[in-house]
Amino acid sequence: MIDLSLNEVETLSAKAARGAGFSWGLAEDIGRAARRIAVEDENWGLAMLSLAENAQSFEAPAPARATRWRDGEADVAATRPLCPIRTAALLLDDPPPPSAMPLAILNIGLPIWLDAMLRRSNMRMARPVGLLMPRADIVVESRAGTMQPVTGRRGTIDKRTLAALNSFAAKTYVPESERSRVRGAGGGRVDDE
Amino acid sequence: MTAIALRPPQLVMRLQRLGAAHPTRLSFLRQLIRRATRERWRVRKDRFDLDDHGFGRAVYAVETPARTYSLVAFSTPLDAEKRSDRVIAQAWDTSYVLYDGLPDATEVARLEANAPLQEAGRFTSRELVLARANKSVRLFEEVAAALAHGRQPDEEQLLGVGYLLRTTAVYGNGKFGIADREEIASRPELSGSFQAEMLTVWLIRSFTLDLVDHIAHRRNPAGAARLAPDLRRALGVGNATGLGMAPFLVRHPLLTHSWFLARETALARVRAQPRAGEMERSAFLQAHTDLRRRVARWHSDDSRQAAATRLLGDNLDTLAENLDQLLAKPHPWDALYRFAEDHFSLEGQEACVSLILEPHGALIDDLGDTMKADETPGHGIDGSVTCGSLRQALVDSYSWAASVDFTEPAANARFWYVSAEKLEPRLGERFEEDGAVLEQPLATARDALDLAAALALEPASGRVAEFLLRRPEWRHAARRAQIVARFPYSEIHDNLIGAELRPVDILRAKLAFFGARSFDPRSDRWLRIALFSGEPLIEDVATTAPSGAAA
Repeated sequence: MIDLSLNEVETLSAKAARGAGFSWGLAEDIGRAARRIAVEDENWGLAMLSLAENAQSFEAPAPARATRWRDGEADVAATRPLCPIRTAALLLDDPPPPSAMPLAILNIGLPIWLDAMLRRSNMRMARPVGLLMPRADIVVESRAGTMQPVTGRRGTIDKRTLAALNSFAAKTYVPESERSRVRGAGGGRVDDE
Repeated sequence: MTAIALRPPQLVMRLQRLGAAHPTRLSFLRQLIRRATRERWRVRKDRFDLDDHGFGRAVYAVETPARTYSLVAFSTPLDAEKRSDRVIAQAWDTSYVLYDGLPDATEVARLEANAPLQEAGRFTSRELVLARANKSVRLFEEVAAALAHGRQPDEEQLLGVGYLLRTTAVYGNGKFGIADREEIASRPELSGSFQAEMLTVWLIRSFTLDLVDHIAHRRNPAGAARLAPDLRRALGVGNATGLGMAPFLVRHPLLTHSWFLARETALARVRAQPRAGEMERSAFLQAHTDLRRRVARWHSDDSRQAAATRLLGDNLDTLAENLDQLLAKPHPWDALYRFAEDHFSLEGQEACVSLILEPHGALIDDLGDTMKADETPGHGIDGSVTCGSLRQALVDSYSWAASVDFTEPAANARFWYVSAEKLEPRLGERFEEDGAVLEQPLATARDALDLAAALALEPASGRVAEFLLRRPEWRHAARRAQIVARFPYSEIHDNLIGAELRPVDILRAKLAFFGARSFDPRSDRWLRIALFSGEPLIEDVATTAPSGAAA
């Protein structure tokens, strides 16, 4: 097992998320959410890998469905599971009115990520979900106050999961050419003194 | 008291002015020195186990009121062809960690197996900072040789370089497994920006001086001289900084805002003073004399910097000639600043900002505590606002960018990326190199204008949350737009992907906040600087009386 700092957890997760196809802005959110998972569960890396591997199999909430949530109407599931990240981003950006809470959402993929994303808000999931639960029907409810960040914790990860996440992260890197190796880093004069 | 408006971001946050930044008394190493002096931190060499050639290990323990920290230093042989300041290097003359507490022999052994490897090593939360430094080879050897012969080294040559070793990286905040920033953020002695990093460099400075003394002594135990105290105090630690640091100010907008806001608030406070007291005059003259002496020794082969330094020297002469009449005016510091603005180069103007602040510790030093930021408020996006209002906020905040035409190749010439080889930020040529598809989100102005254009196609009354649900590719730009609207010094007001971009301008601004001097650009992408030159030695602060809030 390798012991990562939480900053490494966040940076690696954000890069892996970007490599898996999330936008830069969502990747930032995922990095912070990964940190919240890592302080509580040493298998956070598997949760992150599962998110990266399944990123393309989820769908975003359709605008009409989001309207139903805000209006307090019963949810109707789509064919594919909802993306927990894009669902959480929507709820965080423009929280549902009190009249719409608690809010039942059907067939959400990897609900641990919705849970982790909502922790910086005054919303939470009514029932805990397993780290690797592939999908679930969930209920979002209001709570008083937001959770404070935890310090003094680390993110352990096994080598195989780390390598897999690094493969996703590597999709954001540009291979060096001889030209970029010379110019990109700074060029100029050699260290001659 | 007449209120003086802060210098606005459209003046302060331009690259050319950032590239002329000077350290001030609010700079981070100055804040550290003030605290250490006030609290009388004590330093002792817990271990100094070096051979005749200066290779081995040393531990310097610093006792602060609440905790002990240790610099653990390793000095190792290095082939000349492996010595490089660039981040692509894989071996160094010396390597360091700042350790939380005092390490026992087992811990020192663990660190010795990892610190010399730097990025290839692995670290724990007991390590707060990881760093390495190379000798300034020719000078180091000349100093060692002179001392071994019982002589002091040539002062002009020594101070012309200004340091014996140059750090090439100083890593904090969780890098390679070291402690997260959050773990030390609540400790008063390290809560300010980069205080752990500055403490590390301050201790490295003492190690480099002891190292050269040690080598000279081993060469000639009976007759070697020790480096004279005034030379020890004059020397600092060099540093080579490259592109890796450049994105920091862009990626930490709230922190950037806090730094600039503090400095600009300090300047406004001082300019609002109705008159100059004798103590302030005297401290100003001393700072002016000190800067003139430093400018005379400020060497750079970079023709642009050399010309700017020459002009700065002229500006300081002009200032001296006009000082009496300026300081006799009502609001003398304001008069002085306005005189600089009217007559001096950007380098001269920013040097004057530093000089004006210097005598006014009692008035401005409290602002040092504000130069940090909880960045959490920047994480959220208010998606309840309308697309029309976000677009208007973008138009207002980025009006300076409206004249940039990003369809012109010169305006869109570069792209920031992360290199697969070193995992470090790099700058590529968009129309000449592959990889632009993997561009990092650092093209702030272009993205802001493009987001504004995308929003213009939406119903003005539509909610941003709904827009971002459909267009998640704009999430980073929307987040930034809301930050910039609330924190005006958070954004550099220039195109960061243009053909004319000189990344050293960004680096210099950040390094000036650290307290760096002697800026020496080695290309448009990396530069050398000196830290702590002319400042007290850390081992002396326990016996140095605090010189009062105004010092």
